[in-house]
Amino acid sequence: MTVPTEHLLALAGVLFSLGVAGFFLRRNLIVVLMSIELMLNAANLTFLAASRHHSRVGAADLQGPVFGIFVIAVAAAEAAVGLALVIALYRRKQTVSLDRVDELRD
Amino acid sequence: MANLLFYLLSAAAVLSAIGVIAARSPVASVVSLLGTFFSLAVIYLLAGFQFMAAVQVLVYAGAIMVLFLFVVMLLGEGELAAAVESEPIFRRGRGALLATAVALALMGVGLFAVATAELAPLDPEAGRRGIDSALGLAEWMFVRYSLPFEAASLLLLATAVGVLVLAKRQRPGLPGATSRTGEGGAA
Repeated sequence: MTVPTEHLLALAGVLFSLGVAGFFLRRNLIVVLMSIELMLNAANLTFLAASRHHSRVGAADLQGPVFGIFVIAVAAAEAAVGLALVIALYRRKQTVSLDRVDELRD
Repeated sequence: MANLLFYLLSAAAVLSAIGVIAARSPVASVVSLLGTFFSLAVIYLLAGFQFMAAVQVLVYAGAIMVLFLFVVMLLGEGELAAAVESEPIFRRGRGALLATAVALALMGVGLFAVATAELAPLDPEAGRRGIDSALGLAEWMFVRYSLPFEAASLLLLATAVGVLVLAKRQRPGLPGATSRTGEGGAA
């Protein structure tokens, strides 16, 4: 693949902005968590694009993939805790809508 | 050929990302997100990251999305959809407009920065030969980044404990436990 690095970064930028939009606009807590996963994936793509850009034949730059793996570990932890919070919330209030959970607002 | 495939997969990734944030049913969102993850996995493969593509499919598509799907099914897709069906899925008002503006501005700034950046020339041959060999990755991860690796293992341990505490059903009568009916009635 001879696609320039700029195009990979542009794709990551678009995916990240879509994640931001979903994070702020959706009312369903589960979809908000999925938007966070989308943003983390976009970040991963930038790591890998940078790593590919700095790699030469015989001298691979593996900083990108290593941090990509760390990002995936953090994403897994975040998803597990977030979904446990969703279940705890649903058990207490029978809802996953963020507009119904406003005790801490104002 | 590989380039064309990249652009097709990019379009698929963006379209399914839009599907994630626009779908009414959470299950449709999960399936859309799976589409994004698989597209990205193939893009990683095209860019020369075989190991990362495998990790993306195994961990993201395999483990994390199953977790999401599991929770959606556990909470009852029917009930969830019925409760949400009558209401708009997006927030309304000034805050929503501001959030849309922020997301669009972020996209614009990012694309502008990428368009005007003057990057050093890249060597596509490196990507074609594959970048993340497991051997090289192991050396970077367990030698150069062994401390972050240990930190990640601590984080996962803390997560496991935290999830157990959060998801444990609290028995009524124990101190700190709230009865379901009292809380639910107030809501």
